[in-house]
Amino acid sequence: MRLPPALKVLLIRDIMDIFLQQLVNGLTIGSMFALIALGYTMVYGVMKLINFAHGDLVAASAFVGLFIFAELFGSGTSIFIAIAVFLLSAVVIAAVGVLLERIAYRPLRTAPRLSAVVSALGASMVIQNGIMLIWGPQMKIFPDLIPQVYWDIGGVVISLIQVLIMVLSLALMIALYIFIEKTKIGTAIRASSIDQDAARLMGINVNNIIVTIFVIGTSLGAVGGLFIGLYYKGITFNMGWQYGLYAFVAAIIGGIGNIPGAMLGGVLLGLFNAFIAGYVSSTWSDAFTFILLIVILIVRPTGILGERVAEKV
Amino acid sequence: MLRKKSLFVSLLSLSLVAGTAYAEDTLKVGVQAPITGSYANEGQGIDNATRLMAEQINAKGGVLGKQIEVITCDDEGTAMKAAICAKDLVNKGVKMVIGSYTSTCAEAAQATYYRAGVLQTSDGTSDTLTEHGYWTFFRNSFPNSAEATFAADYFINNKKYQRIAVLSDFSSYADGLGTAVVDAVKAAGGEVVASEKVKAGAQNFTPILTQLKSKNPDVIFYAGYYSDGGLIRAQQKALGINADFVGGDANDNPDFVKLAGPAAEGAYLINVPTPEILPYDLAKDFLNAYQAKYNMMPPSIWTLLNVDGMRAFVHAMEENQSFDTKKAADYLHTLKDYPGITGPISFAPDGNRVGSGYMAYEIQKDGSYKIVYNQ
Repeated sequence: MRLPPALKVLLIRDIMDIFLQQLVNGLTIGSMFALIALGYTMVYGVMKLINFAHGDLVAASAFVGLFIFAELFGSGTSIFIAIAVFLLSAVVIAAVGVLLERIAYRPLRTAPRLSAVVSALGASMVIQNGIMLIWGPQMKIFPDLIPQVYWDIGGVVISLIQVLIMVLSLALMIALYIFIEKTKIGTAIRASSIDQDAARLMGINVNNIIVTIFVIGTSLGAVGGLFIGLYYKGITFNMGWQYGLYAFVAAIIGGIGNIPGAMLGGVLLGLFNAFIAGYVSSTWSDAFTFILLIVILIVRPTGILGERVAEKV
Repeated sequence: MLRKKSLFVSLLSLSLVAGTAYAEDTLKVGVQAPITGSYANEGQGIDNATRLMAEQINAKGGVLGKQIEVITCDDEGTAMKAAICAKDLVNKGVKMVIGSYTSTCAEAAQATYYRAGVLQTSDGTSDTLTEHGYWTFFRNSFPNSAEATFAADYFINNKKYQRIAVLSDFSSYADGLGTAVVDAVKAAGGEVVASEKVKAGAQNFTPILTQLKSKNPDVIFYAGYYSDGGLIRAQQKALGINADFVGGDANDNPDFVKLAGPAAEGAYLINVPTPEILPYDLAKDFLNAYQAKYNMMPPSIWTLLNVDGMRAFVHAMEENQSFDTKKAADYLHTLKDYPGITGPISFAPDGNRVGSGYMAYEIQKDGSYKIVYNQ
């Protein structure tokens, strides 16, 4: 194609703009996936259980946030209200998470693994239908806790909410990483994930560790749920399943049971989704996501950062 | 051999006797609608309105002396559940079914009603609904092709759009409308720069919108439902895409404005008239009764279109002095200008509602509609 040089530059700039915009889109959604994936991976790491109810707790968080905002604050937005809604929702959801562990998982700790998985699926349905019974089946509109501010940086548009999602997710993930790697409780969590019996012999209270990971995992998921509400505004009682599924895929891609793996998997999946939808076809983006999952499972069954562990006999 | 035959005959006669002996004392009317799920708002409207209409008819002595009993089945807006609902309603002995809201669900249930000889009326606008040759099916709205012709005329002759982008989802309705609009625009000499599909309920539409941005369209036409349309409009504005947004008829719902937020202002919708501006006395009376009973307005025109379908069925049975559904269908296929809440009701022999009455609205700052184009 023979184009005047000025037009060529413009075209390249346009292509760059589109690319960068997709990058922003992908990082935003990827950060949310990563936050939610952490809940799956932490629980799996210690309990070897896929907590299928996690996605529904994420959805519940958005509804709890909506409820807290409407009941306590009514209207208006300020940074304090936003922080209060986030903290209160996280506390409520963490409490539900701990309760879930106590009721649905602890009694089945020594049962065959399949029983716990079935219990998790049941818990997922209970929570999903609970949301429906409390808040109704209609789509609810999440309030604008964060003002709708947009910046246009050389053709790439980014909103305050997107910046917040990316920065806060990153901060939470770094904090979690430091907590797991550098603190005593973190060491105990890692020890429990390697061998619960040995950890118990070393004087670690594994029950407390499991409660701790449920508190951390579900509160991170709760933040993810609030982000979904803030970013998309429309929340439905059954949306947890979709986000849960994506986050689950993200956890597997990164290597389930591996905390940095979940973070990496989430971000990669978000970017992968955005670029497939943007450059290949939005129609096929889900299909490609699951093809990616299959390829990862064939080529590297332990995920990108997962390590091959010898099967204990 | 002979014994087998006589057994068969006796069984047959037994079933005939059972059939006649089992005369029902109510006229059962099924509602198949999405009571839960993304389209719950609309489904509940259809259920509420059908029950209200049944109440009104019952208060006047019912249909041919029988009271109407409404049986609702929630199809959740999914084809799988719709097929289950169809069997369920047929087993419960309904004579007619109102619904469903989406073309996908109406279509998934159609064959079952047809085989059972149960009348069905739906607001589904997908053209395929009336292309199967089922005598049991009556569309109470106007098909996609009529809307597409209107949209193409509006885009090209009124708004003078040069570059038109069309988005739809995978449902029968949206896919049908999207394709019909693409065809109509091309036929009218317009240029379609993009025709893409989104996954309903995906929430994140920024990748596809960013891709559209590179095509530099003058207008984005969204052929899907309000629950996605509102988000697409909001995300379009957030991405700084300055194209106009025109939503197809299923975007006409109060939740569209809530989801789009400030971005709703300036968006366009194409639909038949909203309930508030229907000029007919029947409409005003019914809306008042609805408001009095449920303390809110019907969610959209779709509610009323479905009630009109039910009214036509009841009218046919009363005219025939019979609950026979085949006779009712024969009568309905030549029905002309029966007064309806949404205007005169006439059906074509294929079950299509005859006529068209599309308008284009612009959403105002306060969320109200202003008519901007009227054929």
